[in-house]
Amino acid sequence: MKILVVLEHDQQQLRSGSLSAIGFANDLARQTGGEVLCLVLGDAGDPLAEQAAQFAPVLAASSPLLADPLADRHAHVIADVAGNRQVDLVVAASSTYSRDVVSRAGGLLGGAMASDIVSHSWIDGRLEMKRPMYAGAILATVVLQSSPQVVTVRPSAYPAAEPLATAGEITPLVVDDASLPSHASYDRLESKPSHRPDVTEASVVVSGGRAIRNSDDFERLVGGLADCLGGATGSSRALVDAGITPNELQVGQTGKIVSPDLYLALGISGAVQHLAGMKNSKRIVAINSDPDAPIFEVADYGLVADIYEVVPDLTSKLACDET
Amino acid sequence: MPPDLLSREIYGNIDATSKGIFYTLAAVALVVFVHGVYRRVRLWRLGRPDPASIDWGGTLRRLFSKVLSLRTLRGSRPRASLAHRLLFYGFLVLTIGTLLIAVEHLAASAAGRQPINPLFHKGIYFAIYELVMDIFGLALMVGCVWFLLRRAGLAGEKAGSAASIGQHWTDKLVLLALLVIGLSGYLVEGLRILWATTPEPGFSPVGLLAAWAFETIGVTAASASTIHLVLWWCHAVMALGFIALFPQTRLLHAIAGAIQLATVNRQPGQMQPVSIEQVEETGIFGVGRLVDFHRHQLRELDACVSCGRCQDACPAHEAGKPLSPRDLVQDLRAALDQAAPLLRRGEEGGQLHGEVIHPETLWSCTTCTACVTVCPLGISPLDMITDMRRHLVGEGKLRGSPATALQKVQRSGNPWGLPAEDRFNWREGLEVPTVGENPDFELLYWVGCAAAYDRRTQKIARAVVQLLARAGVNFAVLGPEERCSGDFVRRMGDEFLFQELAAGNIATLDSHGLASQSPRRQIITHCPHCLNSLVNDYPQFGGHYEVLHHSQYLAALVEEGKLKVSETAGRQITFHDPCYLARAQNVTEEPRQLVQISGNLVEMKRRRQQTSCCGAGGGRMWFDDGPDQRVGVSRVTEALETGAETVAVSCPFCLTMMTDGVAAKDASVEVKDVAELLLEAVTAERNETASNRS
Amino acid sequence: MKILVPTKRVPDTDQKIRLRDDRRGIDIEHLPFVINPFDAIALEEAIRIGEQQDSVEVLAVGIGTELYETELRTALAMGADRALLVEVPDYSDAHAGLDSWNVACLLREIAHREEPDLILMGKQAVDDDASQAAQFLAALLNWPQATFASTIEIQPEGARVARETDSGIETIQIGLPAVISTDLRLNEPRYASLPSILKSRKKPIERISLADLDVPLEPRIKILNMEAVSAHRSCQFADNVEQLVEFLERDREQEEE
Repeated sequence: MKILVVLEHDQQQLRSGSLSAIGFANDLARQTGGEVLCLVLGDAGDPLAEQAAQFAPVLAASSPLLADPLADRHAHVIADVAGNRQVDLVVAASSTYSRDVVSRAGGLLGGAMASDIVSHSWIDGRLEMKRPMYAGAILATVVLQSSPQVVTVRPSAYPAAEPLATAGEITPLVVDDASLPSHASYDRLESKPSHRPDVTEASVVVSGGRAIRNSDDFERLVGGLADCLGGATGSSRALVDAGITPNELQVGQTGKIVSPDLYLALGISGAVQHLAGMKNSKRIVAINSDPDAPIFEVADYGLVADIYEVVPDLTSKLACDET
Repeated sequence: MPPDLLSREIYGNIDATSKGIFYTLAAVALVVFVHGVYRRVRLWRLGRPDPASIDWGGTLRRLFSKVLSLRTLRGSRPRASLAHRLLFYGFLVLTIGTLLIAVEHLAASAAGRQPINPLFHKGIYFAIYELVMDIFGLALMVGCVWFLLRRAGLAGEKAGSAASIGQHWTDKLVLLALLVIGLSGYLVEGLRILWATTPEPGFSPVGLLAAWAFETIGVTAASASTIHLVLWWCHAVMALGFIALFPQTRLLHAIAGAIQLATVNRQPGQMQPVSIEQVEETGIFGVGRLVDFHRHQLRELDACVSCGRCQDACPAHEAGKPLSPRDLVQDLRAALDQAAPLLRRGEEGGQLHGEVIHPETLWSCTTCTACVTVCPLGISPLDMITDMRRHLVGEGKLRGSPATALQKVQRSGNPWGLPAEDRFNWREGLEVPTVGENPDFELLYWVGCAAAYDRRTQKIARAVVQLLARAGVNFAVLGPEERCSGDFVRRMGDEFLFQELAAGNIATLDSHGLASQSPRRQIITHCPHCLNSLVNDYPQFGGHYEVLHHSQYLAALVEEGKLKVSETAGRQITFHDPCYLARAQNVTEEPRQLVQISGNLVEMKRRRQQTSCCGAGGGRMWFDDGPDQRVGVSRVTEALETGAETVAVSCPFCLTMMTDGVAAKDASVEVKDVAELLLEAVTAERNETASNRS
Repeated sequence: MKILVPTKRVPDTDQKIRLRDDRRGIDIEHLPFVINPFDAIALEEAIRIGEQQDSVEVLAVGIGTELYETELRTALAMGADRALLVEVPDYSDAHAGLDSWNVACLLREIAHREEPDLILMGKQAVDDDASQAAQFLAALLNWPQATFASTIEIQPEGARVARETDSGIETIQIGLPAVISTDLRLNEPRYASLPSILKSRKKPIERISLADLDVPLEPRIKILNMEAVSAHRSCQFADNVEQLVEFLERDREQEEE
């Protein structure tokens, strides 16, 4: 199988999810006797390509017109590359970028796409994959029935690729700017810069729910505990709807899907839509003042208490490296 | 007059021309009066025809039992009510008395009698007549004076109620006019006594006093005659002017209100159905414009005297919500007056939503029926609110968590959208037969959505079935076949979703033989909202059942000795009457009996039919209020102020609201349903788990 | 301006989802179906645009059997001007027959016929959670796309859309015609009660059959089988903070071994 991995980055760094995508691709290449090629799109020049080359050969498509992650342009380039190089499989990590861009590329490539897979096997010459449905209540085993196939993988389900012994080759891709569509133009990105890891990449996630009354309390209780454990902060939908947390912290069926080693749910009741986003975490701890909250049904450890009373206490009692 | 005749000459001192002018003026005044009333009646008739035809027998009965008795004034503002009785009966008697004089005059003239030879206005009749008129005239004046003092803030009424009466400049004018008419009447009487030397003037004590006063200041019989004439005309013109202008002032309430109280026989907790065919035909659902109201509702707008009793009783108003039932009615009336010229010409007008009434006002209502119960004129601001809610729901103007609750009931048969198959999970560990397992049941226990799904409320159901089992009652439950009764759905205005739910439930109940058996099988429920819906709503769709509140059934079991109680703990318990039990269903005794088994009952000031709403009715349960802004916060304070250790409730909504309210105030008081208290008394086990707070 | 709103009929996710015995689909008996919540948001947005601007036509489209009429009736009740049902045979395994690709191909054909200025649809369907159809459609039509919209501003020159992404809110400018997929916080859909549904009876539901559209249906994704996933764990309750800390530290030690 000839596999093209579309990498995601923030101009400076590759996203760790992409490394999981490469891991998946490498694994499949081994099983099928195929090859892996990574595609980096943007205008960041060599540093990103070099990062990527640690893990696989790289195709670097560089142009000022690709600097912003606009779906029409990026998808056009991806489809072009996949077509020209007779790629059998296009892979990316599951994210809002890949859903936006790689799905469009999938549409340009004939629509054989499976998103957010959590496991795969190569059986009788075909790729069988498992993906969640119905907010994670069902796991479906699927196959794609035409070529090329387009697949996005759930980062938490696949370990990051191992670096190669020798760095892969970097091939610059010449982009014909004139051929790029320009249906859309980029205005701006509003995000709060954070000293904390991304919620999808962290090994510890501390998440707050409805019981939190305002952003200051969120920072103090949830943020405080997260910093103590070196983790990321997450949020239930209720807080985002109330404007207390930004949307990028939302964990759930329609937000981010995470599976850290430790997930602490503070004042979260555990509606099925939230559970869909975190129930695969290795260890789940729940603190809620309602002993009948559904979150306790998926938790390993629970404490029935008012988070305003116990979380500061918990934060101080956990042996933290820094105060 | 012959000296031995106990009478007085009617129209003495008034010559024939003057009499003619007077009768002409009277006729004119009457015509103006009738025309004024007629114009208002025409406005009322712009509304939709009233659903029910008039029950003449009932109307006549209610004319006496409700209107003339002023029975509806009972229960609030005792001093104002007394003052109104004095004023009303005074005015009524004086009017009748004056009419009797006209009758005497006209009849005697027709019979060809001389004025000195009256038909019946003489002798004992005359004596009694004079006395009664004088006393009732005083009553009228005392009433007027009290009301004027209250408007000036001097009557010693609580700040609240004096502040909540509506103020319009014609109000004081009317009271003053009545006062002056009354006073002038006495002066005229006094002068007449002087110049006509009426025998036995002592039968008119006040008139006599006036006569004496005149004499003292030096009025002679001769001058008395002149002054009498002048004052008589003043009195006559004022009185006739008063009659003519009657319909232009708040006094219109006497007519509109009398008709309302006599003809409309509506109980709290009832609602008018709407059929799909009607909606399809007219394209109208609920009230979006003034003319969408029924005629009697437009009449109600004129019946309102803006007394503010409803506002004082409204729990939403107390909680600071933008709802005052009185202001609602008055705003609608003002809108009617403003739109009247357009409407009379048949043009479009009278749009209500957004301009006259804000949606927030309508959604603030808990449908507690306090306003309906307390209104002396039989007005229902509640029906106006639910009618306008219907319009909003029909137009798709409801969003957010209350809309979601409706959507969930539609899909899953319960407001939380939980799986229908989980409806029976509450019985875990207990022997609870379904109608399928026990088809020969004698009693059906209607469990309701809260006890099926809400963990705290499940304990009520568990208590009830344990008590029924102990008493050896042959009962059953519907189990997963039960669907939401639809009470809050109907009161939120989604009439058709309600009818869908009702039809389903009626089919289920009937299929298990609840309608047809004789003697009829009984249904009990611990939820007053389900109770009220089954009793008042379901018969409109063919569901006729005998339904009791669980407290009534359990109290009877105790009485019959089928449940033995072990001890009466000495603790203080206060009981919060649920609106839908106390007002809509008139049940207040039996829950108290159950409370008194377990401890000493400490009453709150607002109790029984005067209970103050916990805040969850009318769909308010599904609105997202912060703990401080909820309707019913003051009720929690009131309960805590009794110093009781336990707040007893008998409604799942009250249980939730009281529990949350108590927890928000950090109090350690426990909140329990009367069935739970009874079970404790029967098993002698007190259940003091902290989960009372969840 | 004409706005096309494709909608999908999905099971109510509040209910328990159970598998059929053959494990190639779910058991739909007693399962209530609803309009995909994200599509309801798209519909609401289209109707709001219609309320704010003149001469806007909102066309709701459903692809399915006649069971779909209820959801289209609800769309009309919410305020859509027209509803179109693309009648397809009942596939026993609902997802094998109509995957995102087929839906996009069918919708492309509809778009060619109806020539809308804007296609507004939900970002994902809550049954398959694929989040592909809108992007496929945009690719097939070669139109600009704006996915996961949290605010949409229609302007004379096009649309300005704020999108919810992993890194924050990204605002882009696109020309029309375009495909926009809606995210959760775009709006709160209105509740359509029966009277609105009655009023909407005057608006017809147009039908078009698969044969009329002349679009070959070639499924791209095939479901081999399904398994139920239980998230249940048995929770150990700590009595207090100290005990919880003990549990966590015990875990940490075990991991280090």
